Amino acid sequence: MDAVTYPNPTVIEFIQKYMVPVQVSYNSQPLATDFNIRWTPTLITLDSDGREHHRTVGFLSPQELVPSQMLGMAKCHFDLERFDEAVSILEKLLAEYPKSDSTPEAIYLRGVSRYKKTGDAKPLKEAYVQLQKDYPASEWTKRASPYKLL
Amino acid sequence: MKDQIKWEKDLKPGISRARAENKPILLFFHNPN
Repeated sequence: MDAVTYPNPTVIEFIQKYMVPVQVSYNSQPLATDFNIRWTPTLITLDSDGREHHRTVGFLSPQELVPSQMLGMAKCHFDLERFDEAVSILEKLLAEYPKSDSTPEAIYLRGVSRYKKTGDAKPLKEAYVQLQKDYPASEWTKRASPYKLL
Repeated sequence: MKDQIKWEKDLKPGISRARAENKPILLFFHNPN
């Protein structure tokens, strides 16, 4: 990550603009225990009060790190019931990184965020239809499969 | 000097900055060796 991903200009610009980056050693205490760190690299997205909302373990390329962190930011908003903000970030992720590994989960979470905002179940079914069409083998398509009955 | 990410080295100053700037935190655990 230090050699490939973090020197990438797009990654630098994104992180400096939208996040506060904190880098610590895997054995730094008490953080390693507090966050139950067992392997590196581990990347955790926290809200501004330090609460965890998203975690990845293992190498992420420059092309995957940005959408992964956008998903983490959207999860922060979702967990805090800021559904408009969550949808806004997810729309940006889907527009800018339509082929990323984070994209299927983003489609799922966008549907759920829209449902939570409005109470209308239509976005849940739309999420399933899109996932089934574009990502039939994704675990997120399986997770959305009950929504085909709506 | 080449652009690089300006990492905080501990979570406490990261939280202070995140609250002030209203941003989420990317907490990166790495093996420096």
